[in-house]
Amino acid sequence: MRPLDGVRVLDFTWVVAGPVTTRILADLGAEVIKVERRGTLDFGDRRGGLSGTLMRGKRSVMFDLADPRGLDLARRLAAASDVVIDNFSARVMTNFGLDYESLVPLRPDIICVRMTGFGLTGPDRDHVSYGPTLQALTGYTLLMAEPDGPPAGFGYSYSDLAGGNLGALAVLAALWHRRRTGRGQLVDLAQLEGVASLLGPVLLARAIDGGVSTPTGNASQEAPGAPHGVYPCAGNDRWIAITIFTDSDWSRFVAAIGRPAWTCEERFATAAGRLHHAGELDQLVSAWTRGQAAEEAMATLQGAGVAAGLVANAEDLCARDPQLAARAHFVDVATPEGRTVRIDGPPFLLSETPARVSGPGPLLGEHTHEVLSGILGCSGEEIRALREAGVVA
Amino acid sequence: MLPLPSSLTVDTTNRRLGAGLPAGALAGLRILDLCDQKGALAGKLLAGLGADVVLVEPPGGGSMRSLPPFWQGAPPADRSIFFWFYGSGKRGITLDLARPEGAELLHRLAAQADVVIESESPGRLAALGCGAAALRERNPRLVVASITPFGQRGPYRDWRTSDTVAQALGGMLYVNGHRDGPPLRSLGLQAYHQAGIFAAIGVMSALLARETTGRGQEIDVSLQAATAAALEHVPGFWHQAGLIGVRQGTLHWTRYFRVGRCRDGYVMHCTVGDWTALIEWMKADGMGADVDDPSLEDLKIRQAEADRVFAALDAWAERYTVAELVEGAQLRRIPYAAVRPPEALLDDPHLVERGFFVPIEHPGLGRSIPLPGAPFRLNDTPWRVARPPGVGEHNHEVYGELLGMSPPAGLT
Repeated sequence: MRPLDGVRVLDFTWVVAGPVTTRILADLGAEVIKVERRGTLDFGDRRGGLSGTLMRGKRSVMFDLADPRGLDLARRLAAASDVVIDNFSARVMTNFGLDYESLVPLRPDIICVRMTGFGLTGPDRDHVSYGPTLQALTGYTLLMAEPDGPPAGFGYSYSDLAGGNLGALAVLAALWHRRRTGRGQLVDLAQLEGVASLLGPVLLARAIDGGVSTPTGNASQEAPGAPHGVYPCAGNDRWIAITIFTDSDWSRFVAAIGRPAWTCEERFATAAGRLHHAGELDQLVSAWTRGQAAEEAMATLQGAGVAAGLVANAEDLCARDPQLAARAHFVDVATPEGRTVRIDGPPFLLSETPARVSGPGPLLGEHTHEVLSGILGCSGEEIRALREAGVVA
Repeated sequence: MLPLPSSLTVDTTNRRLGAGLPAGALAGLRILDLCDQKGALAGKLLAGLGADVVLVEPPGGGSMRSLPPFWQGAPPADRSIFFWFYGSGKRGITLDLARPEGAELLHRLAAQADVVIESESPGRLAALGCGAAALRERNPRLVVASITPFGQRGPYRDWRTSDTVAQALGGMLYVNGHRDGPPLRSLGLQAYHQAGIFAAIGVMSALLARETTGRGQEIDVSLQAATAAALEHVPGFWHQAGLIGVRQGTLHWTRYFRVGRCRDGYVMHCTVGDWTALIEWMKADGMGADVDDPSLEDLKIRQAEADRVFAALDAWAERYTVAELVEGAQLRRIPYAAVRPPEALLDDPHLVERGFFVPIEHPGLGRSIPLPGAPFRLNDTPWRVARPPGVGEHNHEVYGELLGMSPPAGLT
């Protein structure tokens, strides 16, 4: 069994943030039905890879929601679902009559999750956004930079992953509450607030003491420490992250790299001295790492009990990492066409009722027939007529 | 102070839930939180959702209380803003787990709890006699979530980490930064945060499963794997095409977003909004001749021609202030945004109206602190915001309620 066996999720989400929420629900055993439109945006192969990882284990129906008959099918499916979720701008589901207030009369204990950019209230509620623009608004873009350097930010939409993963927690909490009370509810997930809530102490510090945030490159944002950062290794674009917090971390590091003369200098003898001279220390550490393969430096340092890790690129992560392989983090999934595709799995392991990838991503409209017939009880003739009228595909 | 929205409650007493406040979604759940910063977000999220989260610290207080930043820059006792962030919403007790009597008391507390969340190195709690298996033997309904650098098993099980090292091995670092510069870590402890979110997801999943099975279970969260589960294009493009995502400054991997400069600051350009409206706007300004090209109506061509497109947008954006450009774009349904520091959120009228920051009285400071609030809102079961606990502040209350005893001498 899995934790969400018997839970049905009607999924109007697209792009990234919403599908991230519903893929976790699918891993947990929920029946997730994607309601899609013709010409929907995807990233290549829907079975595996990026799209398949976003759509893993879901079913797909294609309805024309601009046609009243398509909208009626969607509303009937919503009435047969436990959770309805979308990540459109605030007004879209209201215009469709698929918002919480419209669905409650059909299904009094419905849970509706609205994953908008800015939330359902507030002066900017109708603003449009994507992950990169939300990261810009919340400080990630400006402050992920080298000291005094121009903004760099995330090279991807971290905000979508943050909001998506938080969305799954919201659904689970709402389901828990419903099991105890019988009551559903509306969840207002503003992705702006989701990613802002993950800024952590830096935002609270500004809120309390004022001041101006400045970029700190790869300096530690937890305990102060030096050396701390990312250092170049032998080869093209190879790097290692090293973290030294305490005197004992430093002693182990010094021993691991063979006690070169500079490590015995007085100015590096204390944590305060190392922090004060962090810039020079970074140069000296780089001189050592440049002569090392990232994998070897990592093994040497970890072997001595020093926190160090190569800066994994896609190949390191997916094809060479023995730890992720031991956890079976990436899984091979068979498709109905007889292919095998690779998909990312859930990162949390439950000992008794594990989450797992339920299957590959669906083709567009692959499950239209079985959903219409199995859940709504439509006859073959009705479905044929709907197809011919272009209402479903 | 503005009236609070109905989806937030403030528990100024930071005492037990229920005293006249609307109940949160997880009201009635009791969680023991043994985590340091690696797992602290999990308990904070579950406390926000209404669970009674009891932070269990060693006598004298846990290590998070000595981490910067500090209030007014100084590190005297209990001035860690770092701790205030991660400790908010929790009750606090002290207990010396390194002593056998302390480990035994943890067993007795866990027998009265639904969940234990911990972030010790693999095997450490077991060595103290209070590992997950032993705790569950005494309380079979208990859910135990463990957050560790690499997980409970595997070749890296005993390796050490920091947030930066976890980001590196989790694939988050490599794709952030400029082409000719080093990979850059994130703002905020995002490897720890993702592990915290997934631990909270695991806890709720296990509790829902317990409704059917009657039994708790163990949850193994790896910082590295949680980070890898917060990537976007990196693993997928490797799986499907053998492609390795690279750093390219502020240019998003889709090539539809990039930072540009206005008269008074940076702006995030976006070329996946209403393209026609964007071109018409530029043409009305006598600009954009370079990109007034029907082939660019095709998203794929716009992606391929990103350099040319953004060069034209940069030349045009210089005429405007950031505020003018963003307002004009949003009116045309084009998702532009200002590139701002985090402190800009503090007086953002949108967040002010939504009550995102919640002022909380903090004893000893003589003032309230504005805590960043809910990551999402469950409209009928309000997010709970409460101040962080002092060291052992709830010892009498918690040992009394759970075990009917006074705080144990010598162990707290």
